[in-house]
Amino acid sequence: MSSIEQKKLAMGIDSSSPWQQIGKLVAIREVNVLLALVLIGALISLFTPYFLTTNNIMGVFRSFSMTAIMSIGMVLVIITGGIDLSVGSAMGLSGLITALCFNANLPTVICVAAGLGVGLVFGLVNGLLVTGIGLPPFIATLGTLSVGRGLMYMITHGVPVTPDAPAAFAFIGQGYVGPVPAPVVIMLVLMVIFTIIMQRTRFGRHIYATGGNENASRLSGVRVDRVKLAVYIISSTIASLAGIISFARLLSAEPASGFGAELDVIAAAAIGGASLSGGVGSVTGAVIGAALVGIIANGVILLNINTYAQQGITGCVIIVAVSLDILRSRIMGERK
Amino acid sequence: MKSLLNCTYAVLAGLSILTTGVALAKNKADITVAVIPKVAVPFFDDCNTGATEAAKDLGVKYQWVVPENTQGATQVKIIEDLTARHVDGIAISVNEPRSVQGVIKQAIASGIKVLTYDSDSANSGRSMYIGTVNEKAGEVMGDEMAKAINGEGKIAIVTGQLGASNLNERIAGVKKALAAYPKITIVDTEGTEDDLAKAVSVTEAIFRAHPDLKGLFGVSQVGGPAATKVLSEHEFADRKGAIKIFAFDDLPDTIRGVKDGYINGIMVQRPITMGRLAVQHLVSQIQGQETEAKDIDTGVTVVTAANIGSYTK
Repeated sequence: MSSIEQKKLAMGIDSSSPWQQIGKLVAIREVNVLLALVLIGALISLFTPYFLTTNNIMGVFRSFSMTAIMSIGMVLVIITGGIDLSVGSAMGLSGLITALCFNANLPTVICVAAGLGVGLVFGLVNGLLVTGIGLPPFIATLGTLSVGRGLMYMITHGVPVTPDAPAAFAFIGQGYVGPVPAPVVIMLVLMVIFTIIMQRTRFGRHIYATGGNENASRLSGVRVDRVKLAVYIISSTIASLAGIISFARLLSAEPASGFGAELDVIAAAAIGGASLSGGVGSVTGAVIGAALVGIIANGVILLNINTYAQQGITGCVIIVAVSLDILRSRIMGERK
Repeated sequence: MKSLLNCTYAVLAGLSILTTGVALAKNKADITVAVIPKVAVPFFDDCNTGATEAAKDLGVKYQWVVPENTQGATQVKIIEDLTARHVDGIAISVNEPRSVQGVIKQAIASGIKVLTYDSDSANSGRSMYIGTVNEKAGEVMGDEMAKAINGEGKIAIVTGQLGASNLNERIAGVKKALAAYPKITIVDTEGTEDDLAKAVSVTEAIFRAHPDLKGLFGVSQVGGPAATKVLSEHEFADRKGAIKIFAFDDLPDTIRGVKDGYINGIMVQRPITMGRLAVQHLVSQIQGQETEAKDIDTGVTVVTAANIGSYTK
C-alpha cells in the first residue's frame, strides 16, 4: 500500500485510486470553474503586483458581488427551465424607489421595504404571466424589463436621484465587516442559505424536478406552477436587494443603473454550470461564475490590456467555459 | 443617363424652391420644429429647457422626441417618422454620425431644415452644427491638467461609451494639448458604458495599477462622480489632492466633488444655449431669413472652486 493511500485511509477516505479521486472531483462542476478562477488569478498576479493585494481582492469581490447576488436568484429560475431578463430593471427601479423614499425623508425601514416591494411586484407579475397566461418566460420578462426601464426614465427624466441617507443604511453598501466589504458578506450569507435550500429542502428538490421533467413532476404531485411563481418572486426580490445595496454604495440612483445587468447575471449562471434547458445548475456555481467574470474585468485594467478588447475576452471565456463543461459531461456520461 | 440625373436634380431643386416658398408664407404658429436628444440624460434636459423657451418666445410649435436607446437605428427611425409627418425643422444630437446621413439627406430633400447640435454628423448635409467643438474642449481640459501637474507625470482617461464620437473627439483634444508636454504620459484609457457602478470599479483599478498617478480625466459625465466616490473611500484617502481630477458636465455629485476638493475643475458645456440657438436658427432658416448658416462653437466654461456659484450655461 502506498503512503498516499495509507494517509487517505487514516483520513477516512475510501481507497480508490488517485485517478478515480481526481475523476470524482472533476465530476463536480463547481470545482472546474473554481480551478479556472484560480488559474486566471495566478496568471494575472504573475504579471502585476497589484492584483493580489487585500484592497484589490476585496475591491474585486465588492464589484462582482452585485452580479453574484442576482445570479443566485437567476440560477433558481434557470433550473426550472425559465429565464428572468427583468433583473436589471428590478435592480435599478428598486434602488430608485428607495432613493425617492429617502428624498421624502421616510424612515430607513420603509425605504428598504419599498425597494424590496418593487422586487416582489416584478416577481409576482413575471410569475403570473408565465404560470397564469402561459407566456414564454423570455417574452414575459422581456416585457417587464422594458416596462421597468421605461418607468425609471419617466420618474427621473434622466436625472440621477442623490438623497442623503443615514450612515446605518449606507453601511450595507459601503461598510466593512473586518476586512470584508458588507455587500460581499451579504452575498456569502445568501449563497449559504440558498445552497441549503436547494440541497436540503423539499422546495429545492421540487425546483430541480420542475426543470428536469415538468410533466413527470406534475404527475408525481409537485405543484409546478407554485414552484415557478416562487422562483420568479425570489429572483426579482434578490435583484431588488442588489439594487438597494448598489444605491447604498453609490448614494446615487441613476436611470441607467442595472442596464444590461441581466446578461452578466445569466452569463455568471451559465459559466457556473447551469443549463439553460433546465434541471441543472447550482448556487455556488453561479457565484463562482460571477467571480470569474469580475476577476477578468479587473485583470484587464491592471494588466493594461486595451479596453476595447475587454468585452471580447469576456465573451471568449463564456464560450470556452460552457463548451468545456458540455464536453466534460459528455465524457462522464460515456463512462457510466 | 446623365440627363436623367440632371432632370432629377432640377425637379428636386424646383421642389425645394417650392417648399421654401410655402414656408415663407407660413405663419409662425404653423411652424413645427422637432428636437432630438441622444437619450434621456440630465444634459439634454437643459437642452430641452433652452429649446422650449426659444420656441415659446418665437411662438412656434415644438416637439421633444427622445430615443429609447443609443443605437444609430433608433434615431434613423425617428427622423423617418418626422419626415413622413412633415415637420418644418429638425435639430438632432447624433448618436452615430454615419447611420443618419441618408435619412437627413432625405429629410432635407423633402424640404425640412435640419441642423445638428451637441454631437455632429458632418457629412449629412445639415445646415449647421451648434455645440461644443469637442476637440477644442478636450484641448482646454488637457491644458488645465498640464498646468495642475506642472507638465509632468502619469495620467489616465476614463470615458463613457467607447464608440461615442464626441467623447473620442474630446480624447483627441486632450492628446493634442498634451503633445506639447513630453514629460506627461497617458498610461491608460478605459470605457465605462457611462454606468456609475462600473466607472467606480474601473477608477479603483486604475488607481491601484498606477500608484504614482498624477492626474485623471473624466471625459464623460460619470467620470466626476466616480472619482469623487473613489477618492472619498478609506483606501484612497491619501491620494486626494495627489491625483488631479478634471471632469466633464456639472452633475450634482460632480459639483459636490469640486466643493469638497476632490475635483480640480469641470468643463461645463452650455446645453441651454445649444437648445435655444438650435430652435432660433431652425426657425429663421424655415422662414428663409438665414440662408448661409455657419457652425457655432458654444464653448465650455472651466468651473473650479473659485467660480462654482456664478457660472451660466
